[in-house]
Amino acid sequence: MKKYVAVSLLVCSFMFAFAGLAGAAEKLIVIITPAHSNPFFKTAADTSEAKAKELGYATRVYVHDDDANKQNEFFDIAIADKASAIILDNAGADATISAVRKAKDAGIPTFLVDREINETGTAAAQIVSNNFQGAQLVAEAFVNAMGETGEYVELLGLESDTNAGVRSQGFHDVIDQYPDMKMTAQQSASWSQPEAFSKMESIIQANPNIKGVICGNDTMAMGASAALKAAGKNDVIVAGFDGSNDVRDAILAGDILATGLQPIARIAEMAVEQADQYIKSGSTGQSEKQLVDCVLITKDNAANVDNFSLK
Amino acid sequence: MMGKRFSVVNILINLRIFIALIVVFTVFSIFVPNFRTPATLVILVKHVAINALLTIGMTYVILTGGIDLSVGAVVGLTGMIAGGLIYEGVKIEAFGYILYFNVWAVMAVSVVLGALIGYVNGFLITRFSIAPFIVTLGMMYIARGAALLRSGGSTFPNLTGSPERHNTGFPLLGAGTFLGIPYSIWIMIAISAFLIYTARKTPFGRHVYAVGGNETAARLSGVNVVRVKRMVYVISGIMSAIVGLIVSSQLVAAHPATGEAFEMDAIAASVLGGTSLAGGRGSIGGAIIGAFVIGIMNDGMVMMGVSSFWQRVIKGVVIIAAVIVDQFQSEVQRRAALAA
Repeated sequence: MKKYVAVSLLVCSFMFAFAGLAGAAEKLIVIITPAHSNPFFKTAADTSEAKAKELGYATRVYVHDDDANKQNEFFDIAIADKASAIILDNAGADATISAVRKAKDAGIPTFLVDREINETGTAAAQIVSNNFQGAQLVAEAFVNAMGETGEYVELLGLESDTNAGVRSQGFHDVIDQYPDMKMTAQQSASWSQPEAFSKMESIIQANPNIKGVICGNDTMAMGASAALKAAGKNDVIVAGFDGSNDVRDAILAGDILATGLQPIARIAEMAVEQADQYIKSGSTGQSEKQLVDCVLITKDNAANVDNFSLK
Repeated sequence: MMGKRFSVVNILINLRIFIALIVVFTVFSIFVPNFRTPATLVILVKHVAINALLTIGMTYVILTGGIDLSVGAVVGLTGMIAGGLIYEGVKIEAFGYILYFNVWAVMAVSVVLGALIGYVNGFLITRFSIAPFIVTLGMMYIARGAALLRSGGSTFPNLTGSPERHNTGFPLLGAGTFLGIPYSIWIMIAISAFLIYTARKTPFGRHVYAVGGNETAARLSGVNVVRVKRMVYVISGIMSAIVGLIVSSQLVAAHPATGEAFEMDAIAASVLGGTSLAGGRGSIGGAIIGAFVIGIMNDGMVMMGVSSFWQRVIKGVVIIAAVIVDQFQSEVQRRAALAA
């Protein structure tokens, strides 16, 4: 019995010693994003991690799977770990506010990337791509390719996600100015490739005369494009949003017309740089809300796209 | 007199899944233009095939009184394994050589993997007497995690293969047709015919029902309960693997999140088709028709332009209504038995 006590005490002391060493050596930046199965979020996480390491921070990367409760638990862990800053691609514009405030009260600044929250003055920075402007760019290219007339379909993102709504507004802000452009179907495919594929197959049957499909993100554009190919409708125009490598290749192959590149890699780096500045000086030196413009990607510049940045 | 009236009610209720099928089909035929065209019906059946295959495996499992929650995750994992083998091959470090399998071998590897995962499910359930819900829930997380680990979360794109690697032809599984009907539908027809026959006419099929009806009685009358239970999870695993291959072939890409919540549609179709979650009661044929009802509702609502919020609500209402009718049926049958 005594032996066990002695051994466990020894083990415990080692653990504390190591924990102490790790804590003393480097300041910690915690990175929380949605699931890495979407290359967009993986790039956000990987780029922030690389930048933070480059600036000499320890990092911890968590995935909240768009679950605000899980995200809240990661905030608790980050606070317990005495993190110096949190980089967050959040799980909901309203559901995230309390977690960010909790971190602020514990003296930890949060830097939001990609998605905003519905409150100002709580996060240290909110750096997002200009989804509205990007959607307008894509819609302009889409309308031109359609010859300003014809039936088209819109595939929406997850309806609970703010960006899905903002992009749809951006699309319609442009398209609705052309009275000959007729939207014959509008469906949510939840950002998902298989869902976009099967819904597109059904929509093609209901609307055989469609000339174009405009999609809230690239994975849905890939699904829609595969369905159109399977139906032998190779001349239907497809447009996406995000600027992923998969869609870059599809644009080069002529399967997809255009996409709006969100410079998420640059956004993630900016967030970490500002976090570094904040940790050192107590201020980012920037306004809280920062919009980064999207870039239209077509056949002309697609070859220069890699991992959500334009070379 | 009483008995006769009950038997008419009984027949109507026994046919309820057919009636449901006719009702949904008629409703959408009226409200959706182009719904009854051959091309739409082919696409509809193609969508149903994916859920129907999973439903067949799920129904075998449920008939023994079990449940398989790992189905969707196994779809994702087997698709990723096939995609990986085609896209990047197998690196053999010692020779600095990359080995590419031909498409048949790739598909065989995936199906064997699906069977193996099913066997592990069945082994854990029978060897350690753990509830199937728990074992397959754990396996769901393991398989999904493994699918994400396989590629670090990214997609294996463009699975067309290349002639110099001798691995072309994978997209044909999803896009190819025979007599104008996609392969996936032929696969569904062949597998349903075989597994309906197995459930109804073979000793194994009868043992499945016996184990679900009364496990102790089955054991005492000499049924190898352990073997039957392991076998049904193997069937479910194989079905998941086949679906994994079909889905990634249709998309010409393998994505690790593929198959999320597929198990829920399979359970719903099985229950709609009259399978009792307690085991021992139900039929493969009924479950397949259940899959058709769900498939027609999904596609019909998309073609009608119903918002995805309402699509979920309506689907939920239909599933619950089906179970209420199911309870009603047991009650009627019990009373009919008493009256006779």
